[in-house]
This record gives sequence, C-alpha cells and structure tokens, in this order.
Amino acid sequence: MRYVDEYRDAALGQALAGDILATVEPGREYKVMEVCGGHTHSIYKYGIDDLLPANVELVHGPGCPVCVIPMGRVDDGIAIAHEPGVVFTCFGDMMRVPGSRGTLLEAKAAGADVRMVYSPLDALRIARQNPDREVVFFAIGFETTAPSTALTLKRAKAEGIGNFSCMCNHVTIVPPLRALLESPDLRLDGFIGPGHVCTVVGARPLEFIPADYDRPVVISGFEPLDILQSIRMILGQLRDGRCEVENQYRRVVPHEGNLRALEVMAEVFELRPHFEWRGLGFISQSALRLSPAYADLDAEVRFSVPGVRVADPKACQCGEVLKGVIKPWECKVFGTACTPEHAIGTCMVSPEGACAAYYNYGRFAREREVV
Amino acid sequence: MSDPPGIVCDHEQGCITCGDVAVPMRVVRVDRASWLAVCADEAGGLASVDVGLVDPVDAGDRVLVHAGTALQRLGEGEA
Repeated sequence: MRYVDEYRDAALGQALAGDILATVEPGREYKVMEVCGGHTHSIYKYGIDDLLPANVELVHGPGCPVCVIPMGRVDDGIAIAHEPGVVFTCFGDMMRVPGSRGTLLEAKAAGADVRMVYSPLDALRIARQNPDREVVFFAIGFETTAPSTALTLKRAKAEGIGNFSCMCNHVTIVPPLRALLESPDLRLDGFIGPGHVCTVVGARPLEFIPADYDRPVVISGFEPLDILQSIRMILGQLRDGRCEVENQYRRVVPHEGNLRALEVMAEVFELRPHFEWRGLGFISQSALRLSPAYADLDAEVRFSVPGVRVADPKACQCGEVLKGVIKPWECKVFGTACTPEHAIGTCMVSPEGACAAYYNYGRFAREREVV
Repeated sequence: MSDPPGIVCDHEQGCITCGDVAVPMRVVRVDRASWLAVCADEAGGLASVDVGLVDPVDAGDRVLVHAGTALQRLGEGEA
C-alpha cells in the first residue's frame, strides 16, 4: 500500500534494530514508556519488542482514553441512557467498559437506546434526524479527539439543534504524565511521545519532561519503523547525555501543533478542577468540561447525573499496569478472570489497552518463552 | 434501532476512533458552506469529514483524519 509500505520495510527494521543494539551500553537497563495506546498496539502487532535488546524494556503508558475512564463515569452515562426519550451515543469501545452495574451494551440489551457512532458528527446527525428525541454524545479522548467534539458542539450551537448534548470526558495528556513522573515507584529513562496528540498540541507541552524531570522525549509516528527510529533516538540522547524533545514524526506534527484546533478547544472547553482516572486516582486540571458559553449543550447540566464515585475492582491491577509498575501478564487476573470477552479492568476492554494488546498479540511469544 | 451500517469497531486492527489513531485520506470534494468534505481512504471507502481545522483544502489534497475531523494536511508520500 502506498505511503504505508515504506514504513514497514523489514530490512530497514532489522537495520534499525542493529543500530539500537549498537547504541545501548551493555549492562545498563533501559525503560522507555510509550505514552499512547496506539503505539502499544503497533508494538505488539508488529512484534517490535522482539527486535529490541534484552536490556531495553518498553513500558505501557496511560494513553488509552477508554482505559482511564473510571467506573463512576460509566454509571453516570448509563443513568442518562435510561432517561426517557434519550438516544445515548458513544464510540464502540466505550460500550464494553464495565461500570459498577454493567456496561452500556448491557444497558442497551435492557432497553436503553444506546448507539455506537464513529464520530461526534454522526451523533449530531442522529439528533437532526430525531428532533423528538434527546441525543447525548458520550465524549472521550485526549487532545486528538477533543477538537472533533468541539467542532461538533460549535455546529450544534450554530444550527440551533436543541436536542443534542454532550457528556464530556475528554482528558489531557500532560497532568497524568506529570503524576507518573512524580510517582516514587516509577523508574523510566525516556518517553515515546504521542504523535497524534502532538498533531494538535504541538511539541511545546512536552518540554517539561526534559526540563523538570531530565528525561528525553521523542514524538513518534505509529508505523513500526517510526517506533524503532524513535527508540533509537531516545537511546541516542541517553548515550550522548542529551535531554530534549525531538520530533521523529515531522511529516505530520508541526512544532506549534494545530493552532485553529487549540482555539476551538479553548472556546468550547474549560479545565475541570480535578478528574478521576482509572487506576491513577484524582489528578488536578487533567480533564475538560464544557465552558459556560456551551453550558446549554452540557448533558451533565441538562440531566440529573448521580455523580457516584466507585472504587476500582480490588482484583484489578489496571492502575499498576498504567503506571508501568507491572506488566499485563503479572496482574493476578490477566487471561483468567479478565479477558477481552469478560473484562474486569479497562486495560482489557479497549484494543488500545495494554492488556488487550498483550492478550491479542504478545501472549503467544510469552507462552513460547515460558515453555 | 441497530447501529448504522458499515460501522464496526475492529478489535483486530484497533479502534481508530477511540485510540490515538488517525488515517490518511484524500479529499474528493469540499462543501465550503458547511466545511464538510467527502474524503476517500486508501481502500476507496468514503466518509464525511470536517475540514474546518485544515482549510484551505481542495479536491485531491491529502489530510490526516481522526474521529471525522481532519487534523492536518499531508504532503504526497506522507503517511
């Protein structure tokens, strides 16, 4: 396939793996975190960790927007979905995320009108087509997805579509990274930066990582050669004693990001004082809600939302997986009580989640090792 | 009512909507009044895309699309 095959060339991949081997110091252990769930998925799908020297370990970060949604927010969504006349719309993965009393998919089976959409624009179209129904969009995602929700809300306001509203769960990438870097049980040497978040926000928001925490960051594309090259660049910085934000994904990510997207987000959203992350707890100013100018489109204003707080399941170790403290297979319930078909934790629900990605692609290699 | 036809969350390929994943598409035609464009992916599948963040775009341009919104313009040969 044009534009893609170039970034999956096996010979180039082997050459990069050789470069990486030549860059590392024998005897030194390296831990590199890929922040973004999209990278986690590519790493397992293409077996990238198999190409790395044994002393380079990839740690999976908090960058799956489905994985980090706490159970209480799912319960709140289900409560709205059961309101009379409501059409509740969300992305596909969200439907399988367990709240404390089931999933949105189960709410649908129980009679709620829950529909999967591919974009917020689809949800708005459903609102236009069903003027006698209240259509709610359950918005999730990092800065990559927030502009799409913002543009849709601007459209709804401009067109005066009164039966559309949004339950906003958008999160921002910098606060959880800072929380991770402050965590005493974490040891990381560098970060593979989230390519598509940076398409929107640019490189500048990640500069605190080298400046405040002395860790290199390389903003990376999602093809296998992108990720290998980014790992080589991080290891190169460590070898040379450098510490900065480099941009491997220059073909897509401009240094300043997409200024128009940032303007639209600033108009439609404001920071929440705090937001609960699955496994990470409450993090200050880490999520977005609708700004006062858009309050009439805020589902949390329009409907009575229980706002319950539910503790994570005791058996679930998603928090430690998200912090990179344990690997997915080290979780007590991984692959036994918790599988993609019957997920306990959110890391198993979304295919971008570290546990599901590992379950789908990585466990076979691990089984070979164990046998 | 069931989900709209053609919309599936592909657990083998990952969910392009929920993950931080974006796909390159080519603009087929633009409706300037609404900032919506019909775009085609590599396989020829068509989708309605908001191009308000990358304007000006014209038919033939390549854009990076996430959740129905074009986030950046792409040059030729960029994935």
